[in-house]
Amino acid sequence: MSKEETIQQELIKNFAFLEGKIRIARERRIFIDVPADKFMEVFDYAVKKMNFNYLCIISGLDEGENLSFIYHLAQNYSIVLNLKITLPKTNPVVRTVTGYFPSCELYERELEDLLGAKVEGLPKGRRYPLPEDWPAGQHPLLKDWKPENLPESNSGKSN
Amino acid sequence: MAKVTIPIGPQHPALKEPASFNITLDGEKILDMIVKVGYNHRGIEKACEQRTYIQDMYLIERICGICSHTHSTCFIQAVEEIAGVQMPKRGLYIRTLVAELERIHSHLLWLGVAGHEVGFDTLLMYSWRDREIVMDLLAMLTGNRVNYAINTIGGVRRDITPEQIKTTLAQVDVLEERTKYYIQVATEEITLIERLSKVGTLSHDDAIRLGAVGPTGRASGADIDVRRDDPYAAYADLSFKVCVDNHNDVLGRTIVRVSELMESYKMIRQLLKNIPEGPVVVKVPRKIPAGEALSRYEAPRGEDVHYVKANGTDKPERVRVRAPTLANVQAVAAMLKNGYLADIPIVVAAIDPCFSCTDRMMVSMKDVNASKENVIDWKTLRKYSIDWYRQNRGLDLSKIKISKRW
Amino acid sequence: MAFIDKMVTWARVKSPWIIHFNTGACNACDIEIIASLTPRYDIERFGILLKATPRHADVLVCSGPVTRQIRKRIIRIYEQMAEPKFVVAVGTCACSGGVFNGCYNVLGGIDSVIPVTAYIPGCPASPEAIIDGVVKLIQSLEKSEEKSA
Repeated sequence: MSKEETIQQELIKNFAFLEGKIRIARERRIFIDVPADKFMEVFDYAVKKMNFNYLCIISGLDEGENLSFIYHLAQNYSIVLNLKITLPKTNPVVRTVTGYFPSCELYERELEDLLGAKVEGLPKGRRYPLPEDWPAGQHPLLKDWKPENLPESNSGKSN
Repeated sequence: MAKVTIPIGPQHPALKEPASFNITLDGEKILDMIVKVGYNHRGIEKACEQRTYIQDMYLIERICGICSHTHSTCFIQAVEEIAGVQMPKRGLYIRTLVAELERIHSHLLWLGVAGHEVGFDTLLMYSWRDREIVMDLLAMLTGNRVNYAINTIGGVRRDITPEQIKTTLAQVDVLEERTKYYIQVATEEITLIERLSKVGTLSHDDAIRLGAVGPTGRASGADIDVRRDDPYAAYADLSFKVCVDNHNDVLGRTIVRVSELMESYKMIRQLLKNIPEGPVVVKVPRKIPAGEALSRYEAPRGEDVHYVKANGTDKPERVRVRAPTLANVQAVAAMLKNGYLADIPIVVAAIDPCFSCTDRMMVSMKDVNASKENVIDWKTLRKYSIDWYRQNRGLDLSKIKISKRW
Repeated sequence: MAFIDKMVTWARVKSPWIIHFNTGACNACDIEIIASLTPRYDIERFGILLKATPRHADVLVCSGPVTRQIRKRIIRIYEQMAEPKFVVAVGTCACSGGVFNGCYNVLGGIDSVIPVTAYIPGCPASPEAIIDGVVKLIQSLEKSEEKSA
């Protein structure tokens, strides 16, 4: 059995609801759709018990009615586990993972700034990456956002 | 002593890129540091969704001029994985060749910049002069000194002729001789060693905890390298050593980078000796089927990650880029804690920051009661740093004699 | 006083001091600008010195498309320079926004915020092009000084 299949079996053994949701794309790449309410459990297990000790990045996606966040975790820098959580746009709240990975604070701020996510537990701090005078409520990476949405006063094209 | 907060930047001649640092000092010692960037945020990820894959390749290449091939290859690899393309071996070898040449040019560039930061300008001039050899090779192989555009979906755009192989091998020999000299300077020149030792220390545990990547992580004993741990392109066929050092400081980062130069020369020789015959590109349909892929690449600065999601059209659904400097910048604050003000230029330069790859930056700020705010520009800070080390430690790097051999 | 003016003009034309600023570029133009200071191209033989503060410089060499965050800073730097001052836009992005034209955080080329004297296109502009552009700028300085004299 390959290493990826071993990981798949172990996850299904501990979290039966993941049956059918784990996809091995190729060697060293596993994609999993995790139900939102069980996400932190699976995340915690993968990081603490399966040695997925490195977080590459968090990708945010706009999927129409929902927002998805994919946490890309690596085991010994090699096999990458991609955990995807899907939340409705009306309530896109996730818990912070800075407790596990202190350096992911910037990635989470980016989700808040560019997609409008709400990350619970994130310490107060300056926004990132958008400039300070960017108006609230404008999230550029959403599919229906266009630069024309910006109010005239913020177009920055004054002389 | 009263605490003073000094804002530096965003215009400063050191890093050639806009960044701003707020440093909280207690006398000479650094208590806290805030790095604020964001000046380079151009909205590339959004622009990618509105352009086709081929147009995106040219856009993504320009995320960063120093590691343009990095971003282009990382992106193209993800797209090729989604499209399920069987890559031609010769194309992969050429891609890897350009990748290693880019690593060489980037490390030589860094060597010069680091020398400039500590006042060793001779090293800047020498290493950048040697770097011109690499630029000529790249111009010969790809048509341009920077922004090579050698990649296309399914392979590379140019083939390599036997004459070009011969020239490349000859020039790599010249570079290797000169790099041996830089290694000698880095490991035996007492003044340089004293200047760089114990500066910007990052313990092994901190490096792992904060997710430091690339030479910054390897200099603190983290045995990580995407080329070996998650092989891509032609790296599975090559035998090379991952350069890990245990100095945990800027000297370690210097040693790791010059050692990597030597490994790159070996890799280039292996590539050119074993390059297989065959096509360099395969045809890929314009519309990429729906799917997603995560691509990783070992850039000169560390691990570069691209996540691409396709939706069956000729434009991507989502492109997500995480450049290595974003992972390393968190470590800078840890490196400078309890360091001296005079150490800032070289420590920041030692992570080889590429703020345009990062596109933006910021680290959390703890507001201390600042009694006085002083505005100081980077050149003054750099000069202060060089003078401080000259007066307090007797280290004058401008007095280092460079061999007249070259 | 005419003699002093002539001296100043001669000094300015024979040895323009430059300050380099990156307004959100990808770095390619910046490393080519620095490469023109290194032994192979050696722009210092024209008397061109790279200065760190705008108050000492005659020419502002800019690369990159102007992002929103940078806009205020570049205007401030331009205002800190003493008259007469000149702006050189290096690279396609600085001329017109380049590949990034239309991105939401990019306002366009340098001339969308400050007046530009010389444009050097290229992606990136090669060191030869940069030297050519600066020499043309110096020649136009000489001509304009002759005209006003």
